[in-house]
This record gives sequence, structure tokens and C-alpha cells, in this order.
Amino acid sequence: MEVQKEAQRIMTLSVWKMYHSRMQRGGLRLHRSLQLSLVMRSARELYLSAKVDAHESEPPLPPALSPDPRLHPPREAHAAAEAAAPDGEQPFPEPMDTQEAPRAEETPARCAPRPAKVSRKRRSSSLSDSGDAGLVPSKKARLEEAAAEEGLSSELRDRLQPPPAQAEGAFPNLARVLQRRFSGLLNCTPAAPPTAPPACEAKPACRPADSMLNVLVRAVVAF
Amino acid sequence: MFLKFSLRSMFYGAGGGNDIQWCFSQVKGAVDDDVAEADIISTVEFNHSGELLATGDKGGRVVIFQQEQENKIQSHSRGEYNVYSTFQSHEPEFDYLKSLEIEEKINKIRWLPQKNAAQFLLSTNDKTIKLWKISERDKRPEGYNLKEEDGRYRDPTTVTTLRVPVFRPMDLMVEASPRRIFANAHTYHINSISINSDYETYLSADDLRINLWHLEITDRSFNIVDIKPANMEELTEVITAAEFHPNSCNTFVYSSSKGTIRLCDMRASALCDRHSKLFEEPEDPSNRSFFSEIISSISDVKFSHSGRYMMTRDYLSVKIWDLNMENRPVETYQVHEYLRSKLCSLYENDCIFDKFECCWNGSDSVVMTGSYNNFFRMFDRNTKRDITLEASRENNKPRTVLKPRKVCASGKRKKDEISVDSLDFNKKILHTAWHPKENIIAVATTNNLYIFQDKVN
Repeated sequence: MEVQKEAQRIMTLSVWKMYHSRMQRGGLRLHRSLQLSLVMRSARELYLSAKVDAHESEPPLPPALSPDPRLHPPREAHAAAEAAAPDGEQPFPEPMDTQEAPRAEETPARCAPRPAKVSRKRRSSSLSDSGDAGLVPSKKARLEEAAAEEGLSSELRDRLQPPPAQAEGAFPNLARVLQRRFSGLLNCTPAAPPTAPPACEAKPACRPADSMLNVLVRAVVAF
Repeated sequence: MFLKFSLRSMFYGAGGGNDIQWCFSQVKGAVDDDVAEADIISTVEFNHSGELLATGDKGGRVVIFQQEQENKIQSHSRGEYNVYSTFQSHEPEFDYLKSLEIEEKINKIRWLPQKNAAQFLLSTNDKTIKLWKISERDKRPEGYNLKEEDGRYRDPTTVTTLRVPVFRPMDLMVEASPRRIFANAHTYHINSISINSDYETYLSADDLRINLWHLEITDRSFNIVDIKPANMEELTEVITAAEFHPNSCNTFVYSSSKGTIRLCDMRASALCDRHSKLFEEPEDPSNRSFFSEIISSISDVKFSHSGRYMMTRDYLSVKIWDLNMENRPVETYQVHEYLRSKLCSLYENDCIFDKFECCWNGSDSVVMTGSYNNFFRMFDRNTKRDITLEASRENNKPRTVLKPRKVCASGKRKKDEISVDSLDFNKKILHTAWHPKENIIAVATTNNLYIFQDKVN
């Protein structure tokens, strides 16, 4: 459990660093992004192996499905809103940056509640601006259902999903491709019943997460 | 052979505990603790004679110091370094296509060997390399027939006599002018430049590609290494540093984020994607940890002056490789092994991504690299002794011998030792340089440049 928590913390931290490195002068640095994604992968592997161990030793934990839809919409909408931001609209991301910057001082441990709060704030302002918002949320809805079906840990999903959309910034088309690939991948894998034995549960979790990581790497190296 | 032997005896024991004594000589830069970001030193380099010392900073400025020529017979110390020239090398730019700002920070400076009265150096930021000419002017023509002293042309009707201008001495003026600008050749961020031993070509390396340039030609370059995968999702390693061999103009090496070094021969093919040699040490399984992948990334690679060896710096160690042996380094020196158990904290505060450089002394007998808390380390390859010194304004008086420092990893802290937890990780020494001929070193802290010399009796 401790191992899981630690791995999760490091994953969250890595995601935050990845996002933060985008804000730096000089743009995304390929080497740094690669290093962060390596750490994220190691953390994910650690988390998943710890989870498998935990499930083998304990009775399966009840999947926390009900909080998911609530947590998901603001975050996905936030990601969607960012993705839908038109090309070259530099002033638009900047207010978001200034919101993020003061929070940068907070300890990484408080990373978890932060994105949710920020995304709720942005949702109302950004969705009304972007004309493409109508296109994306429906895909997001499908993503959520797929996520719920897979029975993946909500936090794991939350950590991994915002970055791809955020990372691409001013290229809405790329974002749409990423979203499509995301949902495509998740819908392809057979929806494992929640009561599947731990071993099977680990596998479907691995595959989409793998692709997620690939897409993540691709997104961050898009520049 | 004879020269090498005499140099060796002159420098015997340099860097070891009791054999050589390093003294404070000078410190350059602002005194106050509030560091302006533009003043952060990002590169340090001596020229081939050691008379000039160049620094680049985050604000895109280059400052060149010149050693005073003193009467060496009677002086108690070698000449001091004073500011010779300061110029703005790079300005911040904006890439409109990608909506990205291009930093003006100087990543590397490399000197060209001197061919005439002027000095030339290459300086680079993330995207553009510039060739600068630094020349002196100590006389000017005076007494023009047709012009006034301020340059305005005289009314021809007032010219009644003929006089020829003569050169008269003036106060020394050092001018820096950009002679070549090598731009638009790198998609990713430039991390290295290296001048070839033919003194006509040089290479520039970014994360995925290495280009070969001719110093005279700015509108094209040859791509000699390209490790960009067809599918960027398959990207697993990037180029971190590259350098030409000091003697063989066809040979260069590049290091990767995976801890490998590849030696390439340009005679083999136009595109050197296939290495001639691959230097890689198998990972020690007992040292495997969560962060071992990222700490194995090589941050600097330097050939020895002889060309027989090369040195690599990764996060925790310095390794010396014999070019004839690919499967493991011949020497490994631990810079700050006590940090191995702190990797998680170092990841949190981003220190784990720090890129330390390393350098050789003139005779290749001692290597030096930086650490945290303004400490820097020297390893004597002959005596196998190492020393830790601190660059601090506390040892301010010239000819004050620096006291060796020691970090206490765990357990009881002895007197004068510093515990790992009290190290200041904001005070890091990433850039150091060693005079090519003498025991003079330049050590850059965040915004100060320290010059140390060995004690001359």
C-alpha cells in the first residue's frame, strides 16, 4: 500500500513537472520530457505490480466508480477546453499560466486536489469561448464509461489523461487525434468484467496504460 | 615523449591531498545573494593558450577575461584575469511557427586556435551558432586631408594644403563582431559544439541530430548523425553531448541519455548512424533503483588532450574510458555517492536533472568536476587521491590555501565535516575549466566565477 501511494505520488509529481516544463522559456525540452516519461513508466510499473500484490493478498477492493463521473467531467472538460483552444491563441493560455504559477509553490503532495479545482474554474470560462467544445465532450463521455468499465483506479486515469491534451497546446487537430486514439484504444480492449480475477484485471489495465504512455510520449515530443 | 615526461613530473600529484595546494586567486561577479537570472553563468572556457577565459551567461552575454602578462621570474603568482571584452552574443528570439520563445542563454563557447592578431570563438544558444571575432585596436588614423576629426567631410573649397593621415596611439579598444551566423539547422535544442582538429569544420549537436559545418559557409551544413526514429513514440534515447577527437579529424564521439557513448568515423559513410565503437558499461544490478535510468544519462563527454582517453560525467560519477576498450571504463570516480539514497528528494527539487560538466588538466593526470554546496572535486589518476574544495567568498584573501572539505554520509559527523542534509542544493557548480598549460582553474558558481591557482613558492 505504501509502495502504491509512493508510486502514485511520483506519477502525479511527474505529470506536474511535465506540464510545468511546457511553461518554461525555450519550450518543451525533449531530453527532460523523455526522462520524466521514463520515471512515469517506472512509477506506473511499480504501482501496478504493487496493486497486483495487494489484490493477491487482500480481498478485491470495491471499485470506487461513483466518484469517477463527478471527478471526470471537470478534468476532461478542462483538457478538452485546452485542446479546443484555437491555434496561436497565446494570450488565452497565459491567464491559465498565471493561475498555475502561484500554485507551483505548493508541495507536490497537494497536486491531487489542485487540478480538479483549477479545471472546475476554467470549465465555465473556456467552454463558452471555444466553438469546438461540442465535438469533444461526447468523446469524453465515452472515455469515462470505458474507464469505469475497465475498473482502473480513478486516480491513475486522472493523472495520465490531462497531460496529452495539455501538452499539445496550440494544435487542436493533434489533440483531437489523441482523443480519438485514446477512446479507440480503450473501446477496443474487451470490457473486462469488474469481478475478473486480479491477474486479468492487471493485463487490460496495462495495455491501455501502455498506449497512454506512448501517446503521452508522442504528445510531449510533438514539438 | 620527453615533453610528456617533463610535464608529468611538473604536475606530479596535482590535485591530491598534500601534493598540490590550491589557493584562492580571484572572484568575479556580483556579491549579493539575490541572483539576477540573466547573470547565471552557463559556460566557461579557456582559449588554447590559456591567456583568455570566456564565460557565457543566461542573458546571452559573453565576458572574456585576459590574463595579465607579468614578469614571471619575480612574481609570486601568475597573472590576474581582468575583463577584456564584454558583448551581447545572442538575443531572445521568437519562433512564430511553433509559438515558442528561443532562449538567449549561451550553452557553449569554443575557441578557435589563434591564426592572426584577432581571436575567434564560437558561441551557441539553443538554435543558432555564431562566430565572433575579437580584435584589438590601439591606434587610429588622424589628420585626414578631406575629413574633419569627427568624420564629416570638409568643404572642398577650404582645403588649401595636402596632408597625409598618420596612425597615432589610442586607448586600447577591444571590438567583438559577429563574422558568421549559422542558423536554422536544428529542430531540437543544441547541447554541444566542437571544433575539428582541421580547424576548418565543426560539429553542432542537438537532441537527435549532429550537423557538420564549414566555418566559412553558413547557408548549409551536413547532417552526419540522425537518431530520430520514424515513429516518435519509439524514442528511447537522445544525444546529450558530442565532441571531435583532438587529433583525428575524421573521428568524433557522442553520448546518450542511456549512458552509452558512440565513436563514429566520418570516412566510413556520409551518415554516421552506425557507430564504429560503442562504449557501454553493463549496469550493476545492485545499484538498480527507481531512478537509475535517468541518473545514467551522460551530461558531458571530453577527450583527453592526448586523444587516447575520454571522460564521461553522469549524475553520480566520472568515468574514464580507453578508446581501445569498449566494454567498460578503465577508471570510475564517485563524485557524490552519498546522494544515491536521496535520489527521490533530488527528483522532487529537480536537482536530478542537473547537467554537470567535467574537465582534464593539461597533462591529463587530474580530472575535475563540480558538485553541490559550491563544492568541486578533483581526482588524481596517478595517486588515486581525490580532494573536495569549496568555492566560497569566505576564503577571500589571495594566496589563501583552500581547506579540503568532507561530506559526512551517515553516522557521526566529525568536526569540520558537513552532513548531507545540510548541503545547499541551490549552490551547484556545473561548469569548470582548467588552464591548458598551468595549474589555474576557473570554477563557476551560480553567478560568480572563481579563479584558483596552485601555490607558487
